[in-house]
Amino acid sequence: MASANGIKNKVGRKEKITERFGYAAFRDKVLRRRVPKTSWYQGDGSTLTILLVIQVVTGITMTLYYTNAADHAYDSVRYITDQLAMGRLVRGIHYWTAGIMVVMLFSHVFRHLLLGGYKVPRQGTWTIGVFQFFLVLTMSFTGYVLRWDERAVYAARVVLNMFHKVPVIGDELVLLIQGGPQLGSLTLTRFFSVHVWVVPVLLLSLVAIHLYLVVLHGVTSRAEREQPVATAEEHKAMYRKAALSEEQGEWFQPHTMFMTGLVAFAVFSIAFILALTIGPGELYPEGNLVGSSVPREEWWFWWYSALIAQLPPAVAPVFYVAFPVLLFVAMLLLPLLDRGPNRGARRRPFWTVFVLVCVIGLLWLTDMRTRSSWTGWPDPDPPSVPHGVVLSEKSAQGRLLFARYGCNSCHAVSGEGRRVGPDLADLERRLSLAELHGFILAPPEKTAMPAYRGRITETDLERIVEFVLVAQTFPRE
Amino acid sequence: MERRSVLKWAVRGIGLATAAMVGFPTLIAGFAPVWQRRPGKESWQAIGTVDDFPLGEMRKIVVTLPEEPWGAALREKAVYAWRPSEQEAIVYSRSCTDLGCPLTFDPGSQCFFCPCHGGIFDKNGERLAGPPRRPMYRFATRIVNGEIRIDLHSVPLMA
Repeated sequence: MASANGIKNKVGRKEKITERFGYAAFRDKVLRRRVPKTSWYQGDGSTLTILLVIQVVTGITMTLYYTNAADHAYDSVRYITDQLAMGRLVRGIHYWTAGIMVVMLFSHVFRHLLLGGYKVPRQGTWTIGVFQFFLVLTMSFTGYVLRWDERAVYAARVVLNMFHKVPVIGDELVLLIQGGPQLGSLTLTRFFSVHVWVVPVLLLSLVAIHLYLVVLHGVTSRAEREQPVATAEEHKAMYRKAALSEEQGEWFQPHTMFMTGLVAFAVFSIAFILALTIGPGELYPEGNLVGSSVPREEWWFWWYSALIAQLPPAVAPVFYVAFPVLLFVAMLLLPLLDRGPNRGARRRPFWTVFVLVCVIGLLWLTDMRTRSSWTGWPDPDPPSVPHGVVLSEKSAQGRLLFARYGCNSCHAVSGEGRRVGPDLADLERRLSLAELHGFILAPPEKTAMPAYRGRITETDLERIVEFVLVAQTFPRE
Repeated sequence: MERRSVLKWAVRGIGLATAAMVGFPTLIAGFAPVWQRRPGKESWQAIGTVDDFPLGEMRKIVVTLPEEPWGAALREKAVYAWRPSEQEAIVYSRSCTDLGCPLTFDPGSQCFFCPCHGGIFDKNGERLAGPPRRPMYRFATRIVNGEIRIDLHSVPLMA
């Protein structure tokens, strides 16, 4: 009897402690609740949450060593990477988690476009999510400015130029972000403050509200995808029925937690393995505005860079401002505009096609950026001659002049070299000697090629033309 | 008015007052560079004598920007300069007019190449290709007693 009382007292004590710390209510209302069965792909939300926590932990660790003064920032990043015990891994995890977080963010948004996850009663959840979307993108950009290497400095300048295109207040925005009349110490301090304080505080607060709303309104369930749901009441009844049913429902803890946790762990494992094998983002020479440099954004923004490279001059300055603004407004308005009762990919063919086009477009643009065929660049090496081809003395001299006059800064020959101008072995129509002569001296109007008239000797021109005539017969790529 | 609604308004008032008392000074401090750190009207600096720039030849030179109150970061800045004629000097910012990537001059083709999105400019700074809409940024220049001077504030803030 005494021992039974002892056990009872012990249980009672434990219950009291959990109550005093508010755990009991959390356990009963959140963990021990019935929810509709969860598919594995619904783990993208918990993955984003876990990745964010990982970013916070690794980020805080790095702030123990990072210096946000511009004359020491770069050295402190080098110290973290090369000398600090586990520093390389910590930076690597932070870097890869950041990139994968952007990928997961896009897939999270796409999934909700497919399912109609922004529909009643989840309009608030979506709206908060829109702000989170832009905050995560801000984080993923401001982070790599903190390295303060060459690429970081130019990344900052690219963003400043984008803000400069804002009508009326462009200069003021540049002063605000740059912190003064020139890119320098105060710019880095401001990026640091935004990356480490301003955005994380806002983002974590919004995550808390977002998660609260996910618990309150539930995740998109299979049942609501199978038949139209028009009102919040209908939704509530259907959700409750699915959650309580033996076949369609499950316990949040451990079933949902296990499934979504497993997905989060699997995704993080990818980041962890990449951090171990490839390591953090490469450090380029310390930030400067002097050296010749080929800056490039981080891989999760390659698609955007490729998109920008396609813009005609009349559109480009407008696009930099209009695109993010319109995207933001469109995302905010979406739940107000699309209020139809249909949910789920099968019932929403427009959105299925839309998401498919977006995904293919993003991958295609990303691939384009890896080739960056729009970029011309000085190249001291003349094009190579295909195996078995013997050049005459004149065309061999022409080949060397081809590089000296910078023809190969834009033109490839047989698939080797830059692709700004056409590949000379792959012209639509072979040009005659006289045509080449005329083209080089004075290219037709609106051709992106400089005129060589007045700065090339007749002999040099003849040699180059001789080489190009032969190059036109080289095997095509 | 009921006691309860008076209290409700009081709560709102206290909240707003606190927010204003903290928000006003912090926002002003945060946004201060917009008016407090505007560049002055002109800032002329010599970049060399005319003899340093043979006619027609593009030179990349480094100018030193005025020191900032927060240290010496990024004070050295390269610009491109050349003299098309005896009386004239042209000095370009290396910043692409599209998004500010650093232009590189190719002596072979006599073009400026942007490494980012395909901007190409000719020697006169005119656009040949890519998204840039306007020609390269030129500094205002003066030749005084054989010395070439540029106004550092004559190009946009972030150029």
